[in-house]
Amino acid sequence: MAETLRVIDFGPSSPLRSQTLWHAIAYGVSAGAPATLSFTRPAAPYVCLGYHRGLDELDTDYCRENGLTILRRMVGGGPVYLDPDQLFFQICLPARAVPSGRSNALRMLLEPAVAAFRVGGVPAVLDDDLEICLGDIKICGHGAGQIEQAVVVCGNLIERFDHLRATRVLALSDPAQRDQTLALMRRFVAPAPVDPAVFQAAIVSAFSEAFGFDAMFGELTGIERTQLRAIDEQFTNETWLTGPGPRPPVTHTGLRARQVKVRARIWTLGASFDGARISAGVVRGTIDQVRVHDRGLNGSTRKVERALTGIPVDSVVPVLAGFGEPGRRLASAFATADGGKL
Amino acid sequence: MSSEERVTVAGFVLALDRCYQSDTHMWVSPNQPGRVRIGMDALGIETSGTLSELSFAEVGTELIAGRPFGQLEAVKFVGPLISPVSGRVAATNDEVAMDPGLAERDPYGAGWLIEAELKETGTELLGLLADRDEITAWFVAKIADYRLKGVIAE
Repeated sequence: MAETLRVIDFGPSSPLRSQTLWHAIAYGVSAGAPATLSFTRPAAPYVCLGYHRGLDELDTDYCRENGLTILRRMVGGGPVYLDPDQLFFQICLPARAVPSGRSNALRMLLEPAVAAFRVGGVPAVLDDDLEICLGDIKICGHGAGQIEQAVVVCGNLIERFDHLRATRVLALSDPAQRDQTLALMRRFVAPAPVDPAVFQAAIVSAFSEAFGFDAMFGELTGIERTQLRAIDEQFTNETWLTGPGPRPPVTHTGLRARQVKVRARIWTLGASFDGARISAGVVRGTIDQVRVHDRGLNGSTRKVERALTGIPVDSVVPVLAGFGEPGRRLASAFATADGGKL
Repeated sequence: MSSEERVTVAGFVLALDRCYQSDTHMWVSPNQPGRVRIGMDALGIETSGTLSELSFAEVGTELIAGRPFGQLEAVKFVGPLISPVSGRVAATNDEVAMDPGLAERDPYGAGWLIEAELKETGTELLGLLADRDEITAWFVAKIADYRLKGVIAE
């Protein structure tokens, strides 16, 4: 007999509950509840941090002034902006049902979502970076994790995307980097024109087929309801929200560039050293757009920017070496970036 | 560690001078009386994907064998680091927490994760693989299994 896939559509939920409901399910599935596919839509905009990410990545003043709740989830990924124009799905399975390699597990758990996009008329693909894309454009955000003995993957159907606000919530002190982040977000992240009801029905079918489940609508168990209240408390606790905090700098100068991932292999960085400042958008290892500032450039600013545009990131330092002391300061600023992530 | 204490099995380095927890790929290496260093072997690291974050329980936290002592994040996937022993966290490797790539570059050396004071010094390591031939056979079998399942490349 096929195992059951419990399907729960929570409908609109408060920001807090849009996170804690599926965390409670994960504990339930870990304790023996059936695999579960749940849906919810935040009733109000908010911001959510990945498990390891620092609160300092967000402009907390902006979030507070604009009534945006900040929450920390137990799965991975970066800080994200969520609002009622995004329908979230969460698939939760016992860990034993999932392959041991994380990449394989993630691929297995995202493929049904790709199938659902395709049923909805969008020829989505799961790319080599395990992102759901339409061509070059990311159309679905996701995060994954193991909670006790359950594995959960969360993703979204983006019906409309507020690029401006998704950028504005980030802590970016350099206006040039903010502009570059917004430009790359507009270029590489987009909504998918799929009817949400069609998507929901299709993803239920796709997961049922992929795992041999019989889908049945259900609700939370008593244990999960009890767990839900505990997680509500945990997620509103200041210590939980603060999390692990920023990682200390590891560069030789003790400084660290501000890097923002727009999607896999698409980054912006903002960095400074001894009065020199560089901000850049990096697309698949190549400088896509760049702004520099240094007191010694004396009218050569545009020349430096032209020299850097379109070159691989590992050529930045040698190119800047041709611009004397200002170039060396700019190179030192650039060196504070985590090159492995660019 | 001398070169004969490390072997390469089907492209993956294996250190033979320590014990292993076979399910979690955690290694355990005694470094003082009653105290061990814990890390993840090269195969465990490989099957996790590129590491982006590592976090550990604070020094002094109780460890229970089979329960998490920290979290690992790779490909946006956060999962538990499972303790192979019971005891107490005696030290954490701040360098690897700041630079998780260290665990990939040197999993048996500078990429160690935590040190633990053992709860039962005489018995904590008994359930772990300790015999060199057993360790090698287990590692060979794991690689074959992962390749068969497509978890790691041929």
